[in-house]
Amino acid sequence: MARRHLETACLLGPALVVLALLFVVPLGRLFSLAFTDPAGPFATFGVLADSAVYRQVMWNTFVVAVMVTALCVLLAWPVAYVLSRLEGVWFGLALYGVLFPFWISVLVRTFSWMLLLERNGPINRLLMATGITEAPLALLFNNVGVLVGMIHVLLPYMILPLYGAMVRIDRRLLLASDGLGAGLIDTFRRIYLPLCLPGLAGGATFVFLLSLGFFITPALLGGSNAITLSMLIASFVNDRLAWSLAAAGSLALLAIVLVLMALTARLLPIERGLFAR
Amino acid sequence: MNRLPLVLRISANAGASLVLAFLVLPILAVVPASFNKASFIYLPPRAWSGVWYERFLADPEWRTSLVNSVEVATLATIIAVALGTLAAIGLRRIDGRWRTLVTGLFLAPMIVPVIVTAVALYRSALDVGLSGTILGMSLGHAILALPFVVINVGIALRAVDDNWLRAAAGLGAGPWRIFRTVTLPNITPGIVGGAIFAFITSFDEVIIAVFMAGYASKTLPVKIWESIRLEFTPVIAVAATVMIALAIVLFALAQIFSRKTGSPSR
Repeated sequence: MARRHLETACLLGPALVVLALLFVVPLGRLFSLAFTDPAGPFATFGVLADSAVYRQVMWNTFVVAVMVTALCVLLAWPVAYVLSRLEGVWFGLALYGVLFPFWISVLVRTFSWMLLLERNGPINRLLMATGITEAPLALLFNNVGVLVGMIHVLLPYMILPLYGAMVRIDRRLLLASDGLGAGLIDTFRRIYLPLCLPGLAGGATFVFLLSLGFFITPALLGGSNAITLSMLIASFVNDRLAWSLAAAGSLALLAIVLVLMALTARLLPIERGLFAR
Repeated sequence: MNRLPLVLRISANAGASLVLAFLVLPILAVVPASFNKASFIYLPPRAWSGVWYERFLADPEWRTSLVNSVEVATLATIIAVALGTLAAIGLRRIDGRWRTLVTGLFLAPMIVPVIVTAVALYRSALDVGLSGTILGMSLGHAILALPFVVINVGIALRAVDDNWLRAAAGLGAGPWRIFRTVTLPNITPGIVGGAIFAFITSFDEVIIAVFMAGYASKTLPVKIWESIRLEFTPVIAVAATVMIALAIVLFALAQIFSRKTGSPSR
């Protein structure tokens, strides 16, 4: 038996040691910097909380994350529903449509949106040619661009769990509801929606958490007009060499993510929704 | 509700088609952009040419960045696959609280926002002199890629029956021989799938690379990132097209391997 334990330790050991050295220790060292400010152990958090600029950044991060999540829920709904009803070639084609973006670098996709949303880009020219607007719209370097780019990246994370929930719904329940005289809206509200809820909540949590920490897309599409927490952390490190503030911001971001994850895991049977396919 | 009224069905299909088009089509905009003849990007191009591809291949900075990316991704894949495969096998041998704890630790790099991981790694890399090196970036990417290998190999391992291992042991095979002749052949597709995920995770990664890259060790995404902020030349579109082409090739490979094991592909 002891030999078996030794084997198991040898199997798990290398990965655990590397993970400790390259992940746990660096994170711990970074977070410890948050408490080393000469003004006192919690001074950095005070600076973050007191400054109107930083509060604005955090508020903007939160607003963007909420809007991205809400719009993803809305857009995912028809795709997930149609996916759960399709079969054969059409199903495969639609599924590839959802999975394909996963495989393309976020940087490349963000760059694509920069080309499309430009002042003289194809979208603005189309809008003007069709007479929808007179002058080109500012679609880039503000929250509009950030929303479009982030939804594009995060939508599949919403579609897949929602589809996972929908495809498991026993259709006989819907038939039974029909047979008992419930209308379309009643059946949706009392049968379909509750059964979709685990997938919906799982996907929404995932999208929300990922958008809180998003960096590349807001940095390129939003620029200095739409700063998010992750951009603030990066600028603390790169522009101001303010490591203690960067550490405090990082710790705050991670804490929010972990608390939200724990909350949703407690409130909802999230696991089944998240890993369902 | 089992069959929606026609109006609703049509609008669901139309909505789904529009959203799918929104997901797929914009990605492809960089492809025509890379064939611009002008020195700025205009979509769709007024005149077509492959001149920016020549420029991409002739420019030592772009070429070096591509080579760096392949080096970093290869090294990261080797590290992640070696550690992740052993770990996945080890995870099967423990249970209860320990299993939950260790699994959670292995998946943690997927949960911690990458910006936080990147800043932490950068700080420690500065202290130990790994900042600006290919090795430093590879190690960082290996951490991000590890969960994908553990998951893929873990799924493949479900197909390996513990009784086979007992039978082999009963027939006198040692642990290494059991691994080589029973376990390994059955999980090879999972390992290859995990390796492809690991490679593309590293090849596409920007945030850790942007922090860690030195002047001579920029990866392709870092070079794209810097170029976007400087100027909008069609060379960036060429580099982006190269990345898309590579992703499609790897995607196809992963599909072939996942079909062999029946393991899901993300």
